[in-house]
Amino acid sequence: MRHRGKGVGCMWYPIGFTVLANPSAATVKINEDGTATLLTGTVETGQGSLTVLGQIAAEELGISTDDVHVVSADTDTTPMDTGAIASRTTYVTGNAIKLAAENAKQILFEVAAPMLDVRPDQLEAVDRKIQVQYFPQRCLPIADVALQAQFVMGRPPIGSASYNPPTVAMDSETGQGKPFSTYVYATQCAEVEVDDETGQVDVIYMSAAHDCGTAINPMLVEGQIEGGISMGIGFALQEEMLFDDNGQQLNPNLTNYIMPTSLDMPEIDVDIVENFDPTGPFGAKGVGEPTAVPTAAAICNAIHDAVGVRITSLPATAEKVLKAIKARDGGEQKALPAAE
Amino acid sequence: MTDVTLTVNGEERTASVPPETTLLKMLREDLNLTGAKLGCDVGDCGACTVLVDGIAVNACLMLAGQADGKKIETIEGLSTLEEYHPIQKAFEEVAALQCGFCGPGMIMSTKALIDQGEDLSKQEIKDALSGNLCRCTGYTKIIDGVIDAYEDITGKKVPETNPREAQSAA
Repeated sequence: MRHRGKGVGCMWYPIGFTVLANPSAATVKINEDGTATLLTGTVETGQGSLTVLGQIAAEELGISTDDVHVVSADTDTTPMDTGAIASRTTYVTGNAIKLAAENAKQILFEVAAPMLDVRPDQLEAVDRKIQVQYFPQRCLPIADVALQAQFVMGRPPIGSASYNPPTVAMDSETGQGKPFSTYVYATQCAEVEVDDETGQVDVIYMSAAHDCGTAINPMLVEGQIEGGISMGIGFALQEEMLFDDNGQQLNPNLTNYIMPTSLDMPEIDVDIVENFDPTGPFGAKGVGEPTAVPTAAAICNAIHDAVGVRITSLPATAEKVLKAIKARDGGEQKALPAAE
Repeated sequence: MTDVTLTVNGEERTASVPPETTLLKMLREDLNLTGAKLGCDVGDCGACTVLVDGIAVNACLMLAGQADGKKIETIEGLSTLEEYHPIQKAFEEVAALQCGFCGPGMIMSTKALIDQGEDLSKQEIKDALSGNLCRCTGYTKIIDGVIDAYEDITGKKVPETNPREAQSAA
């Protein structure tokens, strides 16, 4: 018989390295046609980080994301970056880029101020223009200001900056400290069907609520969460590296190292819980690794809800679940009064 | 050496290859068509999927000689300089791919599925893609992309189902 069950898994996850320095640096150059060039050392691995970083630069400079040319991951030419690890790119590299863009923009403001007869701190950059705050009709195209800055004032609008998350080392006596600059939180719920004759577990539905700060690109956040859930399902139910006594892997290929396919994926509802973080770029934190953290817990809780057995080692394969169900039934029988 | 002649993306190509050469190796190394990817090389991952006479096959499991005289379609044959194939466009619009390594295989499997011309349900789409592994995306947006491409190309609709009830009935 197939039994339905629901389970919940919650988590918190830190962004960046534990105490250790993990700086990012960036350079933003505003070109005389009003576009910008962003140099960053971080790596795009498909998660869309360069899109998000381009969006951060564009938002700060008041231009379109299409106007930002991102040059990345060339150690000969791009500024230092710790890398696409520790779910840190949006937060740490994003902060460096926002600061660099601010520095470049400041040069535009100082050049534009006398042209508009105001002080630099009365200006803002919006819609490809430098305009006077509250008086948007008093404005100049960014391209004109950048041209003026470069060829008349002799001040090319270039900004560089670096960011390293502020932390406090852990006290070796008390264990107290502030190892991370910020944290993200998430809850995932799983609905499973467990076959009590075979132990087979099917995940039918998952809902995932993730706090990632401001979601700079919600479509990419969804992609990260859905991908993380598929990794979490593999972790919970399928994936296990097996070794023999000599340390040789017994399942070194995808025939017997089983990972989720399209048939193993449940329907997923993603709920992005936006939560402005004042230390992040435009309130953003991160969303990479945390997405895979609560999935296995939610699934194992759902298995318990369905058939009443606790699986305490992963993956919860059909064999393991069936063994636990049999042990439970055996235990119940023993609890019956002895035959009279 | 064996002489193999293929019609690749509408163009006749010939190469002289050792008899043990797989179709994938011939496409990548002799014909310089590196769109089909070498993933597991044993037919598990589907990254090398190409169409042979309209049927999706793992090019790593087929000998080049077996494909002699057949019509081969690879990812290189889909887009033109001017525009993407509708499947590629749909995949791009929903951000179906992340690292993209599974992409050529996923897209060719999708093309084989849609070209059959049959009415599709979401479950049939999942079945058709089950031989293509993806580690990044959780397949969710890929399936969305396939649905969009199918609806765009055929003008039909994939019926809405409540997966939580459908699964239970099955």
